[in-house]
Amino acid sequence: MSRQANRGTESKKMSSELFTLTYGALVTQLCKDYENDEDVNKQLDKMGYNIGVRLIEDFLARSNVGRCHDFRETADVIAKVAFKMYLGITPSITNWSPAGDEFSLILENNPLVDFVELPDNHSSLIYSNLLCGVLRGALEMVQMAVEAKFVQDTLKGDGVTEIRMRFIRRIEDNLPAGEE
Amino acid sequence: MAVCIAVIAKENYPLYIRSVPTEDELKFHYMVHTSLDVVDEKVSALGKALVDQRELYLGLLYPTEDHKVYGYVTNSKVKFVMVVDSSNTALRDNEIRSMFRKLHNSYTDVMCNPFYNPGDRIQSRAFDNMVTSMMIQVC
Repeated sequence: MSRQANRGTESKKMSSELFTLTYGALVTQLCKDYENDEDVNKQLDKMGYNIGVRLIEDFLARSNVGRCHDFRETADVIAKVAFKMYLGITPSITNWSPAGDEFSLILENNPLVDFVELPDNHSSLIYSNLLCGVLRGALEMVQMAVEAKFVQDTLKGDGVTEIRMRFIRRIEDNLPAGEE
Repeated sequence: MAVCIAVIAKENYPLYIRSVPTEDELKFHYMVHTSLDVVDEKVSALGKALVDQRELYLGLLYPTEDHKVYGYVTNSKVKFVMVVDSSNTALRDNEIRSMFRKLHNSYTDVMCNPFYNPGDRIQSRAFDNMVTSMMIQVC
């Protein structure tokens, strides 16, 4: 009840260290539970997906954004509203493919990796893979099938973190009858 | 400036120790080892006062012919020991203090790394680089 009452457009403050450390504990626990990094990546993606399909409701309720008319608009909303709201950062959008169905989100600083140094035995771990799952899950709930993956990561020595997003298709079947 | 930097766990085993490669490593290990007694002494003697002032820097632990040994102990009883060349007279107490502060911050970052298990030897590259920069400054 009280949570519902709090829900507005204002963002709640939270310690970024607590958030970073919580995510770190999650990932390291997964690393302990699974044999190899591939499984951990998959699991992170799955967890992100489950977060995404729920988070989109919260996002739509709080942000008051309307329907997006094309993928470019979606990209803008993701970067400028969604990332800002949940992670406090605004990634930049670049590298549009000529067809306009692929773009990159460039994260200058990723709050998930603040203290992290990848050990040598986890070289294929995609530490922030949860984000890809969240994006995929959230967009799926608004009838967009997308593919999201990390192509650059500061943890692996790249200068920036880059998430590549690819639009696959519109999901038509679960559009309720009578709309549009 | 520093010729040897060591991080010692609460239970007095080394978490990290690095010295300049030009000199005998073992000599520094001895020196740091010896200094632990002085650290204990200082902590128990000043214990109350240090806690009250929230002062972590212990100052000069003891000088030898060629070197000076400084100490710093965190609230969780992790000790930092720094050996400095005594020919380097330009180095003031304040600078040593700020170097320890830097070391402490860097150590905190290492502890916050989810892949680091408390009590393990420190193998972080970022920490290594920071220590290197502190040793190069002087030499």
